[in-house]
Amino acid sequence: MGIWLLAALLLLWIGLRVFGGYRPLPPAVVTLTRREYAFVAAAADATFPRGGPIEPSGCDAGVPRYVDRYLAVVPARMRRLMRLLFFLLEHAPLFFPPGGPSGLRRFSKLSPSAQVAYLEGWQRSRFFPRRLVFTSLRSILTLGYLSDPEVQQALSLTPQEIDTPICEADGLWPRIGESRA
Amino acid sequence: MSMVRVFSEYERDFVEQADVAVVGSGPGGALLAKELSCAGHDVILLEEGPPFTPADFELDGGLSMARTLREGGLRTTRGYVMPTMQAIALGGGSLVNSAICVRAPASTLEDWCGEFELEHTSRADLDPHYEAVEKFLGIAPTPDDVLGDRNLLFRKACDALGYSSEPIARNVRGCRGSGECFTGCRARAKQSMDISYVPAMVKAGGRVLTSVQVQQVLAQGRRATAVTGRVVRPFSGEPSHSFRVDARVIVLAAGVMATPVILSQSGDLANHSQQVGRNLQFHPGVAVAGIFPERTNPQFGATQGYHSLAFIPEGFKLETLWAPPALLAVRLPGFAQALKQRLAEIPYAAIWDAIASCNRSLGHVRARRGTMDPVITWHFHPDDVLILRRALWILARLFFAAGARKILPGVHGQPPEMHSLEEARVLADSELRAIDLVCGGNHVFSTTRMHGDPGRGVVGEDGRCHDLDNLYIADTGILPQSPSVNPMHTCMALAHRIAGHIAEAL
Repeated sequence: MGIWLLAALLLLWIGLRVFGGYRPLPPAVVTLTRREYAFVAAAADATFPRGGPIEPSGCDAGVPRYVDRYLAVVPARMRRLMRLLFFLLEHAPLFFPPGGPSGLRRFSKLSPSAQVAYLEGWQRSRFFPRRLVFTSLRSILTLGYLSDPEVQQALSLTPQEIDTPICEADGLWPRIGESRA
Repeated sequence: MSMVRVFSEYERDFVEQADVAVVGSGPGGALLAKELSCAGHDVILLEEGPPFTPADFELDGGLSMARTLREGGLRTTRGYVMPTMQAIALGGGSLVNSAICVRAPASTLEDWCGEFELEHTSRADLDPHYEAVEKFLGIAPTPDDVLGDRNLLFRKACDALGYSSEPIARNVRGCRGSGECFTGCRARAKQSMDISYVPAMVKAGGRVLTSVQVQQVLAQGRRATAVTGRVVRPFSGEPSHSFRVDARVIVLAAGVMATPVILSQSGDLANHSQQVGRNLQFHPGVAVAGIFPERTNPQFGATQGYHSLAFIPEGFKLETLWAPPALLAVRLPGFAQALKQRLAEIPYAAIWDAIASCNRSLGHVRARRGTMDPVITWHFHPDDVLILRRALWILARLFFAAGARKILPGVHGQPPEMHSLEEARVLADSELRAIDLVCGGNHVFSTTRMHGDPGRGVVGEDGRCHDLDNLYIADTGILPQSPSVNPMHTCMALAHRIAGHIAEAL
């Protein structure tokens, strides 16, 4: 009886450590779950740490909010795949530990240096699917990072002002979602 | 009732009649619909995507892809995994492509004629059709004043090494070099189908149904009688009303992925040859970034303004490239501060790419169970990988000839940065595997290929399905293999010819 109780407590402890204790979502986040938000925020700052040639970090540049918005507009099947990607990378430190004193922790609970080491492990893997997973994550985060106006300004990539000339197609259809005038 | 119906204007299930129903408003379908409308026929053009106004364009790369491309722009192949993009919008791919219009080389068309038993598809046969398209769309070489440094550096490099190069001919009028081809041309310089052939078709009396997904072609014996499907909400694809369009002639121009899926969902229609969905080919492409000592201001200039056809006999074409930086950055190596350092070099960058004719690398398309989405499987032949290895080496040579201080080849297992031609030589000498490359699946062909032998192809040279009397196909699926260059122009030339055949048949 005592052993079973101990095992149950151990499982509970592992479960809480791996799956529990996520912070509440910030306001206006509508698509990401608490776990996903924590993962994306941590991954954004690991991928784009503050300072260096472009000052803002991933979170400074609003990457988690961008991903929240992006997730809402991609088709349902892709949304499921992206969620699977986040889940996999959040919990895979159990199977691909970054080295050092990381313990039994999920990605978002690792130290910043361990997070970097962990993702670099995926980037440099000789196993193609692992590199593919990393590239997918980094692509999503980069989309968000480069959408930030401050980052765009730092790179001289602010969109130009362009006036749209009249053409024969005008009036043939309304803006998407609007009714014909 | 308006001639272009949009999602909010469908209030109930409906049935329409026409002489011709054209499925898909990309370059093949829109051109063909316009030609037949202008010839006096009653034409309905059906498009699954919505029509965009310039105010609907999203400048952000990711969000733009999510709105204009199928599967949110995240579609990938199986087998060899690479992204591939197909548009879902009025105008099809022309809304978000670089407007490149190149005639297929005579030698390539000669090869087609020999290998696929075609008698009327030589360059001389197609030239009048190419000319008709060029005249209508104002296709012309990109002028110097909108090339920008990225394109001019490419010219300088080709000149230095003695490779022939030329400004790319594009379907644009009054390009300002805004570099926004991939997210929709706000300057309306690009003559995408939605602002060129579609308005001309409407002016001639044609009707356009947008946000309608054709799911089946109905047939009786050797005659197609109608297309059926569902109205779908823009972006979400949520289905609503049912529809049917009865027509004397039906043209499928839904694209290399969608057309075989429609045929498959129509009871394996037009597939006596068992070639529907097979022979899938891509132009897999690789890109190399070069970093120059001076700013290149890469956001200015024609998106793809210069190319070299010097290596067509070796199986690849070189061209300049620009896209939303977030999409280009996917190819940059590195992580954390190293990645930020490379992002910071974008203002000094030029990106040039190679697309390869990989006639040995084949795949197939089938319907994903319970959906109209395709499952795309494609395998990269090792000999075709060697074409891209050679192309990477040539690109490296070009960059250093143009004065780049380093290149980022984006090849796994190789140094992320190479600072001299000597360092880059490893690109020519190494054992390169397909999975070491970051490839994009550009341009798709051949899933309903044209073949003189009805047992080995889906359509004949007139675009008509061998198995039916009045079902035609007019997208790049009918190309029997790679046209060696960007396919849009050849697709439109063939569609122009097919329109003539249909007009005669009606």
